[in-house]
Amino acid sequence: MTLLHVDNLRVTFPTRQGPAEVVRGVSFALGRERLGIVGESGSGKSQTGRAILGLTPPPGRATADRLSFDGIDLCRATPRQWRQLRGARISMVMQDPKFSLNPVMTIGRQLIEAARAPRAEAHDRAMAMLDAVQIRDPARVFAAYPHELSGGMGQRAMIAMMLMAEPDLLIADEPTSALDVTVQIEVLRILDRLVEDRGMGLIFISHDLRLVGSFCDRVLVMYAGRVVEELAAADLAQARHPYTQGLLNCLPRIEGGRRPLPTLQREAGWAL
Amino acid sequence: MTRSEWLLTEHPRSRRQARLGQAWRTWLAFKENRLAMLGLAIVLTLLALAVLAPWIAPHNPLTGGDLRTERLLPPSWAHPMGTDDLARDILSRVIWGSQLTLMVVALVALIATPIGLAIGTTAGYFGGWIDTVLMRVTDIFLAFPRLILALAFVAALGPGIENAIIAIALTSWPPYARLARAETLTIRNSDFISAARLQGASHLRILWGHVTPLCLSSVIVRVTLDMAGIILTAAGLGFLGLGAQPPQPEWGAMIAGGRRFIIDHWWVATMPGLAIFAVSLGFNLLGDGLRDVLDPKARK
Amino acid sequence: MALIDIRDLHVSFGEVQAVRGVSAAVAEGESYGIVGESGSGKSTVLRALCGLAPITAGAVTVVNEPLGRRRSAAFHRRVQMVFQDPYASLHPRHTIDRVLSEPLAIHGFADRESRILQALDEVGLGAGFRFRYPHQLSGGQRQRVAIARALILEPRVLLLDEPTSALDASIQAEVLNLLDRLRSERGLTYILVSHDLAVVAHMCERLLVMQHGRAVEELTRDSLRARSAAEAYTRALLSASEGYTPAGATP
Repeated sequence: MTLLHVDNLRVTFPTRQGPAEVVRGVSFALGRERLGIVGESGSGKSQTGRAILGLTPPPGRATADRLSFDGIDLCRATPRQWRQLRGARISMVMQDPKFSLNPVMTIGRQLIEAARAPRAEAHDRAMAMLDAVQIRDPARVFAAYPHELSGGMGQRAMIAMMLMAEPDLLIADEPTSALDVTVQIEVLRILDRLVEDRGMGLIFISHDLRLVGSFCDRVLVMYAGRVVEELAAADLAQARHPYTQGLLNCLPRIEGGRRPLPTLQREAGWAL
Repeated sequence: MTRSEWLLTEHPRSRRQARLGQAWRTWLAFKENRLAMLGLAIVLTLLALAVLAPWIAPHNPLTGGDLRTERLLPPSWAHPMGTDDLARDILSRVIWGSQLTLMVVALVALIATPIGLAIGTTAGYFGGWIDTVLMRVTDIFLAFPRLILALAFVAALGPGIENAIIAIALTSWPPYARLARAETLTIRNSDFISAARLQGASHLRILWGHVTPLCLSSVIVRVTLDMAGIILTAAGLGFLGLGAQPPQPEWGAMIAGGRRFIIDHWWVATMPGLAIFAVSLGFNLLGDGLRDVLDPKARK
Repeated sequence: MALIDIRDLHVSFGEVQAVRGVSAAVAEGESYGIVGESGSGKSTVLRALCGLAPITAGAVTVVNEPLGRRRSAAFHRRVQMVFQDPYASLHPRHTIDRVLSEPLAIHGFADRESRILQALDEVGLGAGFRFRYPHQLSGGQRQRVAIARALILEPRVLLLDEPTSALDASIQAEVLNLLDRLRSERGLTYILVSHDLAVVAHMCERLLVMQHGRAVEELTRDSLRARSAAEAYTRALLSASEGYTPAGATP
């Protein structure tokens, strides 16, 4: 079953030199699966995720031939419809928790508010969720303000918050890059369980090809605002596009290997 | 290569070109803001009036005309702003008064800004007891209302425009010190300061070369926004008879002189009042515009 | 005798003990890695070495100079550091030229022109970048400037604090190659701190794994490659660096 349709998505920002297109005609369909979007900074991967949620920062503009979520046309959604969708049915986890948590509310209150459930039930679920994101001392974090938490803790609290509402679609923009590798795996486990057990759709935006390759079902590789290659994650090693190959090859390996590392030779043709 | 290309190039070939290019970019961003340009125009007009006063003022600002026939004349073609009770042309006095206003503004800025910057950056950079001592002194100054403190200074030093300027300067640095300290606190632990320390840079070099340039822009913005208040304080002191002494054409003193006739001869007090209003507005608009281009935090 | 000798180093910030008894010895020309997660104290070890964090207890000797509270000018010429975030480590209002000429001015070098041009050349930027501001550069280019700044005093030791973790993978490869080349050309000694085992395995002959301010174990590159880690924590790090493994499948 298809949850999200994206057809010819474009995001444009006006600049002094005229409009700059940072996403140039991205199309894909998402089912109840883990879709990875990989690319380097400036590839448009984050703007793609934001545009789906209608969160393109002004003065940017997002247009699409079709952008529909579970039968709802997002291009023509009213502010009321958006309020009903965001947080409840579509959630987003961003890289930096600082900008996504309300600084003057305790984590606990924010979690309960996100739950949209009776207070006692929400409280129990909030504690369970904090426990689930591997927070060692849920009671302390529940009563804490965002600035009292470390970066990794804040990130986990935020993931817990996004998951409280049990959304149908989660857009995770570099959700784990601020986290330690061992914690990162735990967070991915939680996301994995939500996809497997509850049939949530997940868009996992990351620069980390190795992580996306091992975690997702399908991978879109973006370069200069375009999808240059789409392939099953298991086939990543057999990538055709020289950009994908270059990204894979330039990573150092524990087993050792080439020295100097092969670097990526960008070709002008890729951006066309 | 046109001049604009030379300025905007991504590959400057000298220190001067890089600096000019940077200034040019700031100017281009500033130019976008219409209101700020209006503010700049007002401030430039004030500057031009002050410089050109001897040539453009139609009458002598100190000696009036015939006391029998030319006292308290309403605005007319001969006297666009009317005349005062000593038969002096108000327009000429307003024009000459711009010199005093500009002097007050410039001297206060030149005295208060360096004091505030030096105290604030030093307190913020070193922290500890130095911070405590400097900031408590600042707090003491902040605790007094500016006009009252200026009054006390003037009372001690004697009335006069120079003493008024010193008094205003001495009372206006504390906000700059606090601002500079707050900015310094956010940058003192940043990596580029650590890098400078690792190169063996002295505290003075770091304070002067690394910390101050980053505090300067927000302090300049604050000073510009404060200019309106400084003009008003100077006018207030003049109004109370503690600033510029008669017959000097100081705007505040002129309002004080005109208040006796405010009902029957409104223009005597209103014209210098309008001048104060226009210049204060000009500095405020300019300050807002400067904040938009200089303060990276306020930038959209 | 080792070029850098750290013995039972403790660093505390008030109540918080960031580093609790770490020892290591690094020989001249060696590249030594410190691996750990956030809060492990790995960066604090570097900062204590160069004087940005206090040495609460223990002894640190660099080039036969025991380190106290203050660092001498000679120390700054011998030991330099490259920071993690290239966006935070360059002064936003200074041109590259100023960034590079300042250390030369502090230490009274004469031939500044030629040294600046040579430094830009060595990090692969070239003279065209000399009068640019940091905001006109990409992250990778900024990190090259930071490396040029560290090398312009011709130090013997370079402390690298996550030098590539803020960079894209392809840029990371370029910067790692640059660091590798500079080390072999100049016979530099590196201490590289990273959370990425693969980067450390690529760059360093030996490494120290840290957790909660303590040293977990010291490994050589070969034992890392053979995955013959003694401690459970190191093995957990190793398996995590492989990427995601579904819960059921045991690595």
